[in-house]
Amino acid sequence: MNLVPLVFYGIALVAYAWHFAQRNPVVGRAATTLLVAAALSHTFVVGMLTMEVGHVPMTGATSAISTFVWLLALSYLYIEMTTDERAMGVFILPLMAALQAIPAFRPSVEERAEVLQGPLFGIHVSSLLFAYASFAVACVVGITYVLLFKEIKAKHLGFFYTRLPSLQVLDRMNQGAIVIGWIFLTLGLIVGAIWAAQARGGYSALDPRVQAMSLLDPKIFVALVCWLVYSFELFAARRIGWGGRRAAYLSAVGFLIVLFNFVPISYFFSKSHDF
Amino acid sequence: MHLLLVGINHRTAPVELRERVDFHARGLHTALNALASRGSAREAVVVSTCNRAELYVACDDPAATRRDLVHFVSEFNGVPSGDVTTHMYEVNDLEVARHLFRVAAGLDSLVMGEPQILGQVKDAHTAAGEARTAGPVLNRLFHASFGVGKRVRTETALGSGAVSVSYAAVALARKIFGDLDGRHVAVIGAGEMGKLTALHMKSQAVKHVTIVSRTMSHAARTAEAIGGASAAPWEELDSVVGACDIVITATGAAAAILTKARIASIMRPRRNRPLFIIDIAMPRDVEPAAGEIEQVFLYNIDDLQATVRENLARRASEVSRAETIVGEEVDRFAAWYRSRGVIPTVVALRERFEAIRRAELERLHFKLSTLPPEARARVDEITHLIIEKLLLTPTEQLKALNDADTAGAYSEALARLFGLTEEELRKVEPFTRNRPNRR
Repeated sequence: MNLVPLVFYGIALVAYAWHFAQRNPVVGRAATTLLVAAALSHTFVVGMLTMEVGHVPMTGATSAISTFVWLLALSYLYIEMTTDERAMGVFILPLMAALQAIPAFRPSVEERAEVLQGPLFGIHVSSLLFAYASFAVACVVGITYVLLFKEIKAKHLGFFYTRLPSLQVLDRMNQGAIVIGWIFLTLGLIVGAIWAAQARGGYSALDPRVQAMSLLDPKIFVALVCWLVYSFELFAARRIGWGGRRAAYLSAVGFLIVLFNFVPISYFFSKSHDF
Repeated sequence: MHLLLVGINHRTAPVELRERVDFHARGLHTALNALASRGSAREAVVVSTCNRAELYVACDDPAATRRDLVHFVSEFNGVPSGDVTTHMYEVNDLEVARHLFRVAAGLDSLVMGEPQILGQVKDAHTAAGEARTAGPVLNRLFHASFGVGKRVRTETALGSGAVSVSYAAVALARKIFGDLDGRHVAVIGAGEMGKLTALHMKSQAVKHVTIVSRTMSHAARTAEAIGGASAAPWEELDSVVGACDIVITATGAAAAILTKARIASIMRPRRNRPLFIIDIAMPRDVEPAAGEIEQVFLYNIDDLQATVRENLARRASEVSRAETIVGEEVDRFAAWYRSRGVIPTVVALRERFEAIRRAELERLHFKLSTLPPEARARVDEITHLIIEKLLLTPTEQLKALNDADTAGAYSEALARLFGLTEEELRKVEPFTRNRPNRR
């Protein structure tokens, strides 16, 4: 089922790349239309799964990725429509297409363990997924900021100079995405901690996964590192003037950690989040 | 009907001659009326800018019209025809379309791809419309040229990138800051260069311009001349620079005023706010190493000129794509233009058929008059429909011929077969222009 959105994301990616290279407005509109089609079909997929299992798909290892891509597509579309800037699409769509390939080719069974019932778990996962989607946007915006910054500094005004919005706009978008991401990351972590404390006090305390939920578990540990990185970035931007290029680099580093936590750690290392 | 263009432009004529051949001087309408009253052209549009003066006409006898147009140009502008003819070019039929399309696309401009020319071509056509000298052929031609201009602008990068130093500076500022309203600009140096740059910035709707000069009275005078700008004494240089977003330096100082260390200390309290410094002084006012400071974007006049050269080179690389568009549009116009060649034949044929029908009805008038009125109306309708149906296919086939020679042969054959006279053929396409009564 996840194959249909993947195909759309793939075609949209080609259209965005074409638009970026040629800057033909007709191609640009076609690219957006294709992405809207991808997001709609993806909404359908996520909606069907939700109706089937009774909650937003997030507990299977790969279905969470699908939900993440869906949120990312919606966030990006929101940014494109509000800023009227299409240049970012060519940077963010490869990420969507690559991540969407995982659930498309390795569908997971959506089972919600007994221990995962309750509203807190849903809030925990969905806010974290949304935070990660925001960080993905921040990372992509940050990369484009650095590309443009380097062109202007090098006094060689070429490819990106003619295609990207201004540094100021990119910086503002980056900061905005990080603030939103940070809020949801914080919320997700706090709710997760409360939920873990409840689970430990309840009848599922003997579940080995619940017992593994400590700060030393790789998944939880890396998530906290993430939080520290983004907290520092927000602090640095406001207090010591670390905006611009440094903030852009930090958001790239932060998102690399997120991605690392999201895919390999979930698969191979985490004992606590192995549902 | 033939298309004809005679004119001079920046490539064929020196500026002294272009200044003298200026149809705007006495008003475009006067020129159009004067041209129309000569009667050598059926339709006319005059495109007159500082880089070109071109007469686009539709006429029956290109050779005679050409001679008359040369006389017109020299008489109207008071320039001896000998001076004009050596610099004048003549273009015929479909090459006129190609020429106009290239002009509208900015391919024929002094600065490749400049956007003003399309507006000037539109104005020229509007003026001809008002003076009622433009007819179906030139209307079609000029509307097609607007489409070419638009296509080239949206589908190629021919018009992209600033091609003058001051526009390059403004474009750069926009790439750094986004919009410029709300930005503060400081101009250091109250000389002519500084004043011009400050004026240019002011026209970009920046929030405030401050002028700093070694002599306060000098700064104040320049600030007043610009209007809406303020002056600051030399001692406040650091604080003025610290408070603004864009700095333009244009002093006559022999050594650098803003060293790297000085700018670094100015930048510290600004934290992360970008500072765009444009150094247009010779010798330079800003130490080049200052550009290494994070968030300082330093460009001097050479850098700006280099970006202008790059933009010009990029425009040049887009020329072949723009020429392809021009070629496509010429082909499209050509199909319409050639189909027009058969129009006199089509109309004459239709009139011949209609005349026969009327004659027959007339002849049978006595017999038909015994019928009730509805029946007579029906007879009229049926005979009309028969003619329409008989002519439908031949008309379509004729109009589909997009090769002038074939179309000519077919027209010739039809004229022979149906005995259409020269007179009948020439009766169509009367002057589209309602001549104003002038005594």
